[in-house]
Amino acid sequence: MKTVTRSFLRYTFRRRGLTVLQFLGIACGVAATVGIVLSARSALTGFSKAIEFLKGKSTHSIERPAGPMDEGILVRLMGDPAVEAFSPVIERSLRLSTAAGAPGFARGSTSGVLARGYKPRASSEPKARPLTGETARILGIDPFLDKNVRPELAYAVTTDKADENLSDRLTFLTKNNAVLVEAQLAHRLGVSVGAAIHTVKGDFEVVGVFPNPSGEPLLLMDIDHAQRLFGLDGRIDRVDLVLNDEPGFLSRWENGYHVQTSLKRRETLAHMLRAFRLNLEALSLLALFVGIFLIYNTAMFAVVSRKKDAGILRSLGAYRSEIVGAFLTEILLLGSFGGLAGGVLGYFLSRFLAGEVGGTISNLYFFLQPAPPSWSLWIVVAGTLLGGIASLLGSLWPLLELVRTDPVRALSGRTADRRSGADARRLATIGAGMILLSLLVLFLSSTQVYAGFAGAFGFLIGASLLTGLALVLVSPPLKRTMARLGGLPGKAAAGNIHLNLGRTAVAVAAFMVALSMSIGLSTMIGSFRRSVERWLDNQISGDLYISSMDELDVPVSFYDELRAVKGIEGVDPYRKTLTSFQGTSAYVSAVDAGVLQRFANFAFLKGGRENWDRVKTGEVIISESFARRFGVKAGDTVTLDAVHGPAKLRVAAVFYDYTSEHGILMMDRAHYLRLFEDPTITSLGIFVDPGNPKRGEILAEVGRRAGDYDLPVFSRDELHANALKVFDSAFAVTTSMRVLAIIVAFFGIAGAILTLFIERQREFGIYRALGFSTLQVGGITLMEGVAMGLLSFIMSLGVGTAMAVILIQVINLRSFNWTVFFYPTGMPYLLAAATALLAGLGGSLYPIFKAWRTYPQMQIREE
Amino acid sequence: MAVFFLAGAAVLLSQNGDWLRVVQPRVWKFPEDHGSHPGFKTEWWYFTGNLSDQVGAKFGYELTFFRQGVRFAPMNAENPWSVRDLYLGHFTVTDVSRGSFRAEDILSRSGPGLAGARMGQMDVWLLDWSARMREGEILLSAHKNGLEISLRLKPRKPVVLHGSNGLSQKGAAEGVASYYASFTDLETSGTLTPSKNGPAVTVAGTSWFDHEFSSDILAKDQIGWDWFSLHLSDGRDLMIYFMRRADGSVEASSSGTLIERSGAAHHLARDEIALDILDRWRSPKSGGNYPSRWRIAISAAGIDLVITPLLADQELVAAGLPDLVYWEGAVAGEGSSGGRPITAEGYVELTGYAGNLKSILK
Repeated sequence: MKTVTRSFLRYTFRRRGLTVLQFLGIACGVAATVGIVLSARSALTGFSKAIEFLKGKSTHSIERPAGPMDEGILVRLMGDPAVEAFSPVIERSLRLSTAAGAPGFARGSTSGVLARGYKPRASSEPKARPLTGETARILGIDPFLDKNVRPELAYAVTTDKADENLSDRLTFLTKNNAVLVEAQLAHRLGVSVGAAIHTVKGDFEVVGVFPNPSGEPLLLMDIDHAQRLFGLDGRIDRVDLVLNDEPGFLSRWENGYHVQTSLKRRETLAHMLRAFRLNLEALSLLALFVGIFLIYNTAMFAVVSRKKDAGILRSLGAYRSEIVGAFLTEILLLGSFGGLAGGVLGYFLSRFLAGEVGGTISNLYFFLQPAPPSWSLWIVVAGTLLGGIASLLGSLWPLLELVRTDPVRALSGRTADRRSGADARRLATIGAGMILLSLLVLFLSSTQVYAGFAGAFGFLIGASLLTGLALVLVSPPLKRTMARLGGLPGKAAAGNIHLNLGRTAVAVAAFMVALSMSIGLSTMIGSFRRSVERWLDNQISGDLYISSMDELDVPVSFYDELRAVKGIEGVDPYRKTLTSFQGTSAYVSAVDAGVLQRFANFAFLKGGRENWDRVKTGEVIISESFARRFGVKAGDTVTLDAVHGPAKLRVAAVFYDYTSEHGILMMDRAHYLRLFEDPTITSLGIFVDPGNPKRGEILAEVGRRAGDYDLPVFSRDELHANALKVFDSAFAVTTSMRVLAIIVAFFGIAGAILTLFIERQREFGIYRALGFSTLQVGGITLMEGVAMGLLSFIMSLGVGTAMAVILIQVINLRSFNWTVFFYPTGMPYLLAAATALLAGLGGSLYPIFKAWRTYPQMQIREE
Repeated sequence: MAVFFLAGAAVLLSQNGDWLRVVQPRVWKFPEDHGSHPGFKTEWWYFTGNLSDQVGAKFGYELTFFRQGVRFAPMNAENPWSVRDLYLGHFTVTDVSRGSFRAEDILSRSGPGLAGARMGQMDVWLLDWSARMREGEILLSAHKNGLEISLRLKPRKPVVLHGSNGLSQKGAAEGVASYYASFTDLETSGTLTPSKNGPAVTVAGTSWFDHEFSSDILAKDQIGWDWFSLHLSDGRDLMIYFMRRADGSVEASSSGTLIERSGAAHHLARDEIALDILDRWRSPKSGGNYPSRWRIAISAAGIDLVITPLLADQELVAAGLPDLVYWEGAVAGEGSSGGRPITAEGYVELTGYAGNLKSILK
């Protein structure tokens, strides 16, 4: 190895503390990026794989515009000349439990267990047993028909041994609780043929295990049993088809049915995830952004700390190329190893995040349980490359600076850079321009989400470029303040920040960006949560809610029964289901307009209870997201495909809603039944007069009756809590990212401060020689670090708040089409302040320790 | 007759108690008895035929509907998906001039109208395959994967009752028997599409229809059978079945039926039939070593025939049940009947030579 390179690397080793910090910084930056990218990808490929696997050979599928359909369609399909094969499907998801005979409700619905207290069957009182919380997709099929669509699954039905072959097939058909289990799920649950799987709907007997390349937990059940399990006698969710003549088929099945190609079906589902995916991508971009900033920071300090070494080496006859080579070797080694570690770290992070992402998608969109990302050497390679490339990018500018420096100037080591003031002004001008441009983009592109993200990032970068100027501007007052607070050492600390502007500005900017993102995201999430809470207070005003978990419906007979209970003044049979509108997906929902008019306090954009009058006459109300997404307003007419062909519906009003960004079209149940012939009830809202003296008894009676149907009962508060729990889990990834950004920034600023001090160790000696006590030198260092942290924080107050506004008013509105009201709270700011303070303190502790320990004379001496 | 395999298996798997048994002669009533007899566990409607097109190219076809009872009383009687019977369909076409043999099969439960057989008239369907009797004529229709058939069958002779007034004994034990009736001579016309995307061919010829139902059809020591249905050019038809036992011997209750040109039928006892195997063919697919040429002699009727398959490989492996393997193919023969030289055509079914019959029947 060349002498120059060796000398560089020796330095790296000597400055272990600094090297470790830089290493950790790079590793965290890479880990954040790798983690989120991997988990997002795993969720999406899991989704594609699951869809691909489940579609089998089918070319199309047919379903009703809303809800399940009568199985009588099969005989008609049987006689259609375009149909090569068809297979009726019941597709739901089901929660699994770990212990025998322990029906219960887990994850996102724990309070449902409380409802069991109403159950009269004390003898069979289930003990509180742990639930796996794992949810599996369950497919109800006819194995004979399905064989032509999904031969892989049919093969699973018939195992390869002839004697098991026939008996297995018949057990699958003749045993009410027989299921086939996907191999990985069977492995996780530790079950094999003959064992039982416990679910919220009772125990199933495993009659076979089959491989599922998509890795998604899947159960297969005979259609007969699935119909009974889900209360769907005579009905099926859809029919998967193999067609040989699409136009011919479509011409016969145009009205009242929704025929989709398998590709289109997949696209439709994928489209539903669009906003979610985009936000995830933006988040990973943010991680990368913070990561690169940090690496840049690291690289720059590495260069700066070598400036003098470089000068010495050059004057000793080393070539410029040797210096550059040595520098590159060092930064690349650090970047690559940091990246490698970050890759590994990111992989573990992704395993955690993938579950979160899957859970969120399941909560908000449709069932999806991605397999955890599998380990691959490419992850390390990618991490290493990411770390290496980001390091190179980050060191480009410092390197140019190094190359330009003439040896004599470099020899003098770190010097107060007089040009930095001018530089700061120039950068600030660019930054201001960027901010202006970003705001322009944000305002002019009214609907584009991508433009929104670009604007947000532009704003952030612009703001970070303002940091230098901001430091110059705050320098005099800062100096005054710190002099007053800390005397001469305080003044010296403030001066140092200004003097080393080229370095301190970058560190402060990086930290400011991280803190701003933290404040912005927290405030956005907080405002969003508050908006949802307020909305819940309005929308969810029933006394009790009865809802079945896991896509199980509430039996219509139970609804009829409750209506007859004395003392119950209103029962709202809520139905919400996906339908297609203008070639894409939206929700249609049914309510009892009369009941809601009397009892609910719906938040309409305009008007109040009187809006329900028009709903009763057959008009519809739409959610804000529906209105924005499809450009529909009150008074407009929308056309919806219904069972008897297209139906024209007038929009009576628009209401606030946060349950679906795809839009909800709500109508009275009577009209829904007429249009869609779908009697399904998703949940029931029960309203009892608060003044009724028998209120408690009535509610207990409802609970008892629900217990007989095995239906969970939620109080309003429980439902609110559940909704907020879903909300929180939806933002779990964002929250984790926010924390990660803070950690990355923490390492960043600590590293930056540390470097700054190490670089200036000699100054400590000078301070000592000038008569400063060791304590005072420590004080200078501490104040400098804390001041930098606080300056970052102060800047992030404005930038973070601006970010929150952008996230709420631009990103959220455009991604999800709903209005989030701005409710700033102190918490995110306090958190940011604490982080800033801690990082400033943390970064200065090591140099203080060094200053304390080292003999002053030694420090005057040049190293 | 291939459904024996399935029947044997289902005997073990279903509740046997309530199914009717074949122990006494039956009072037949036609056409009602062409319909379903759901009291019995196993029932089939079996059509085979030898056809030729306008330029004389020869074809053979088999279209069979099996009803196999699984549970006498379905678990959830109110839900049509709840399984009582399974329906199995086999459809094969032998294109003699092209030397090709194609087979398709369907397996389905009754479900909400997916498959079924009506009582009181011949109306059997399995998805879009069907056999329906309308005003004395049988309409057959089936298509799958480009293989297609649409035929009209008109009886030239009255219903034939095999065995003892339609009670056909299959084994020594009581109840190991079936009720067995046939149309042995059906004038056939219609269209046939023997290959995917190929043109439909107008065909005509003679078909054979077997209808059997039973609840206990195969004795424990039997491994399979050889079955012959032949149309002789002098107007006689001949049915022979030989039940083979594990020790290589032929079940004593094996028998046949000779149907005269007039439609009069004579039962043929085992010892009246001389059946010699002249050649064998080994299946490259299954390894089964099938008889492939026979000499049939019935001296009492003056019949002496040599029968040869029109195509060596007419072996059928059902996709739904890979272990169910049998040979069922169009054959032709020549020899003499009543002292006069004649030719013959028909179908032969050979079971128990390949596949894993034992394990299914275990």
